[in-house]
Amino acid sequence: MKVNYLPKNRLRHAYLRRIITLVAIFISGAVIFSLLDAIIISIISPIWKIKNVIITGNVIPSLPEEQTQKNILLELVGRKQESNIVIAAVLTRPPQTPYDVIIIDAGSNESLTIGSEVSLPEGPILGIISEIFPKSAKVKLFSASGEETNAVLERNNVPVTLVGSGGGNFKLTLPRDIAIEKGDRILSPDITSRPLATVGEISVRPTDSFKEVLAKSPTNIFSLRFVFVTP
Amino acid sequence: MIRRVLGSAVILASILVLPYWVYIPLLFIGAILFPFFWEGILLVFLVSVVHGSEMAVLPSLVSPLALSLLVVLILLLPIRERLRSYV
Repeated sequence: MKVNYLPKNRLRHAYLRRIITLVAIFISGAVIFSLLDAIIISIISPIWKIKNVIITGNVIPSLPEEQTQKNILLELVGRKQESNIVIAAVLTRPPQTPYDVIIIDAGSNESLTIGSEVSLPEGPILGIISEIFPKSAKVKLFSASGEETNAVLERNNVPVTLVGSGGGNFKLTLPRDIAIEKGDRILSPDITSRPLATVGEISVRPTDSFKEVLAKSPTNIFSLRFVFVTP
Repeated sequence: MIRRVLGSAVILASILVLPYWVYIPLLFIGAILFPFFWEGILLVFLVSVVHGSEMAVLPSLVSPLALSLLVVLILLLPIRERLRSYV
């Protein structure tokens, strides 16, 4: 006997099957891609290397003079800086990535580990390694959205917490009595006191007891080519 | 079918080498142009793996980009049915 379903019911049933299929693909994709991330990155890395060679040319820069001067100063105060710095080329950078994450061409083969500090050749710290692969690593920049970093205001040595807001920008909140001006530097709290950000905009309303400060990374993260990594 | 494969290949290439403001709109355009664009879900996970900060199972499930594409694909199912042209 032939059963005739109402067209409306049949349509709803078809949607349900498709929705379940999409959700199943979504869940299985999440699991599979999380397991294969190292393999995928290692497959794609050569493409980025070729792209970088074509676009920019891959010349490793020499150690800047300022960096060696800083080492001499640190030696004078009895805190010699570690010299086993790894120079890495940046494979991907914003805006290719929607998040403030860069991928570098050095990994666990170069004795880098998760948490290794990544800085610019000129000195400013950029972020730390968040994921490591044999020949590459992902670096989460301090300016990544929601990322909190301890820092010190250079003008009056006030400890602050920088909150990343993406695109190489930071936000911080200060009591309104603390003096701060556009262009002030925000430094890392360690002995090297390397620049983390520069104050851009300050907004304070007469009724507020705090002022909101917008700061920007000392470098243009959209044009990063080489970084130093301290294992 | 060829258009669909070519479209997916173009989106894949753009994820690898182009800025996010090119490939994210392309993903959503693909979801609108191609019916039942399940490949888009895999491509959006590729974005999370390649460009995301950490790829753990739970954060990837709640990744705003992946989740929004899934919602768009589900919402497009009935809309596409109503807009179907028989010409």
